[in-house]
Amino acid sequence: VTSGIASLPVNVATIDTDVAVIGSGGAGLMCVLHVAQRAPDLDVTLVSKGQVGRSGCTLMVQGGYNAVLDPRDSFALHFGDTLEGGVFLNDQELAWTLVGDAPRVIRELETRVGCFFDRRADGRLHQKPFAGQSFDRTVHRGDLTGIEIMGRLRDQLFRIRPRELGDVRALDLLLDGHGGVAGATLLDVRTGAVAVLRARVVVVATGGSATMYRIAAPAREKTGDGVAMCYRAGLELRDMEMLQFHPTGLLAGPSRLTGAVLEEGLRGAGAHLYNAAGQRYMARHDPRRMERATRDVVARASYLEIQAGRGTPAGGVLLDVSHLGAGEVEARFPGMVARCRQIGRDLAREPVEVSPTAHYQMGGVIIDQDCQTAVPGLLVAGEDAGGTHGANRLGGNGVAESTVFGARAGDRAALLARERERGTPDPARVAESVARALAPLGRGDGPGPFALTRALQDLMWDDVGLVRGRAGLLRARDRLVELSEQVARVSVAGPPQANYAWQEALDLASQLTVARTMVESALVREESRGAHYRADFPERDDERWLRYVVARRGAAGEPEIDLRAVALTRARPRAGSEQSAAGGRA
Amino acid sequence: LANPAALAPAPPLAPAPGTVRVTVARSDPAAQTTFEVERFEPMMVLDLLLAIQRERDPTLAFRFSCRVAMCGTCTLRLNGQAVLACQTRVQPDWAAVRLDPLGGLPVVRDLVVDMAPFFDEWARVTPYFAPVEGLDEPAAIRPDDPERRLIDPHLDCITCGACYSSCGIAGYRRDFLGPAALNRALVLIADHRDALGRERLAAVGGVAGVDRCHYIYGCSAVCPKDLDPAGAIRRLRRWRVGARPARRTGGRA
Repeated sequence: VTSGIASLPVNVATIDTDVAVIGSGGAGLMCVLHVAQRAPDLDVTLVSKGQVGRSGCTLMVQGGYNAVLDPRDSFALHFGDTLEGGVFLNDQELAWTLVGDAPRVIRELETRVGCFFDRRADGRLHQKPFAGQSFDRTVHRGDLTGIEIMGRLRDQLFRIRPRELGDVRALDLLLDGHGGVAGATLLDVRTGAVAVLRARVVVVATGGSATMYRIAAPAREKTGDGVAMCYRAGLELRDMEMLQFHPTGLLAGPSRLTGAVLEEGLRGAGAHLYNAAGQRYMARHDPRRMERATRDVVARASYLEIQAGRGTPAGGVLLDVSHLGAGEVEARFPGMVARCRQIGRDLAREPVEVSPTAHYQMGGVIIDQDCQTAVPGLLVAGEDAGGTHGANRLGGNGVAESTVFGARAGDRAALLARERERGTPDPARVAESVARALAPLGRGDGPGPFALTRALQDLMWDDVGLVRGRAGLLRARDRLVELSEQVARVSVAGPPQANYAWQEALDLASQLTVARTMVESALVREESRGAHYRADFPERDDERWLRYVVARRGAAGEPEIDLRAVALTRARPRAGSEQSAAGGRA
Repeated sequence: LANPAALAPAPPLAPAPGTVRVTVARSDPAAQTTFEVERFEPMMVLDLLLAIQRERDPTLAFRFSCRVAMCGTCTLRLNGQAVLACQTRVQPDWAAVRLDPLGGLPVVRDLVVDMAPFFDEWARVTPYFAPVEGLDEPAAIRPDDPERRLIDPHLDCITCGACYSSCGIAGYRRDFLGPAALNRALVLIADHRDALGRERLAAVGGVAGVDRCHYIYGCSAVCPKDLDPAGAIRRLRRWRVGARPARRTGGRA
């Protein structure tokens, strides 16, 4: 730590490192592991807005991890499922990389990190059925897999001993004079102090932004910070209109529990979904796959049922797994049974009310297979990156993506750190970043952040949700501009130390940045594909729309949109396989 | 195709009108400490805190992340007992509750604690897996293997610190490894895939180790994941004076 930078409103310490990893979920920790493996002499700094290894969504993984391990399964099948699930919007090279690396990373998690996943009777890894997959390939530990993966990964940090900056948020990426990455500005959530982190390589792995919806599944940290930072640094985003809703989020009234996912394995095991009239409505929406259709199809079907007045009084549908037998449900899904019992429901013996819940952001920063971006030295891994999943992610491909690409980012960062100098950030950019972060604390008269978050969640749910249309998206565009103006005036009381209202104000700024790219991308895509359903353009249109939407920050700060053809490098949609993206009619 | 069970309407979640009086420990002596919070159903202790922060006093500081008992960061003391705020339901007969930060740990602000002492102890048992030579494939181990039957009930620790806070020794004498770390040590020592069992046994058998435990069972009583750290300590004590667990042979894939 060296002296402060002149001309700043406050004293700003500088920390020098070789590799800075922003985010401590599955991608961030795998990245640290791989940097240490490849180049143990490098100085690694791990920056985490929440507690290190105890925040983000990898630890919330319930279902598990897709990997081709059985001789009867194949890369071609997993790849085909991933493209079908993604409705051929995927970056096929990223999807192929995911499929190809997943078995190796599962082995690494078991044999190097120490995870122990569930076994079959013969002692080999158990793989369970998930929706949208042609083979039972999901590795898991019970129905709370993330605890085992993240606990063991976090424990490896006690061997590696990177510099851990827990409760420290990254504010902005800093570039050097040549357009390469130079580091990031930081804010210590506990103390309120700011700092400059200078690094040869920066890896962004903060996770997605789905918390900006009224009903949402992710951990609180998931506010799109990484994507917003990259966007402000000039990077291109793709597929930002693709936001996944998981079909089975718990409904628990105003409790924060609402939106928590009941895992995919329940549908994989044969759970039924009923509307309030007792109809298994998937028969009308996807008669072949029924409840085991992909998340986009099931979530939208549930939403349409609810919108058509066939939902429960609380605005949900009913998930019923009781026909499997209470003993079976309790043995296979103890975590889900406990989660329902907590709100007085018995998953093993009765239907439970669920709703679609905002879950996962398919879109993100454009990367190559080694997580490299258009900014030299800046890598992006996990949910912050776009392309792997196309228009819809398969259950079980999420934690696979985090760990596969986190590992690749670590491998690449170790190489790059040898080649790159540590650049000098522009002091004016540092000052601007710090001033913007500190501003809400100094103001006395603006709106508070919590009501603004709620307003954002309502507008995203209503107008940028499971069913979209031009009128609603235009309304959302206007309301986001208004909200941005309010957030620019936001004011928080209290001290700088552990001030979560202040943190919420900074989260909001990230969320609004991401939300605007989502609305603009959704307006442009005048068709329906995967998670993106336009009521005014309900058909999938491969003639015009095997293209992906790219959003980048324009000169005036507004999103600029570009369209690019999907490179069908390995597979193309079968002629005649095209079906209505809605999969049927309500 | 109607399912009779689905047709029966779910009973409404019982309304619980009225309020609950919440008293929260605050770092700023001038800050408000007592709030009347409107009830709803179902309501968790975390919801009480969120209601206060969102509607009454935005400066109230507390941690949470996942809100589904997986991250272990919302631990606090409810009327003196360590619980996860996210999975503890506000009961209909509660008129008043008191919320304090975890014990035995430095307070950052209000209910936010610094977990460093907890993880310092955790680090001392060498908590990371170190594979035995030749472990290149997931070991073939049947689900009913005695080794897994021993280990599995001790997994799923979320390092929430509830046991640490509730241990009469760990929070008092700073040199006790504490229940969570010892539970983790058991998981690794019993695992034939791991190579560092001997070192760990030395650590847990040392002056800061299992002998410090007085079997008050506070740890096992409060564990929100129903783990039994006291049982782990008992077993480690036996292993230390006797033999390490028998290493199985030929069980690998």
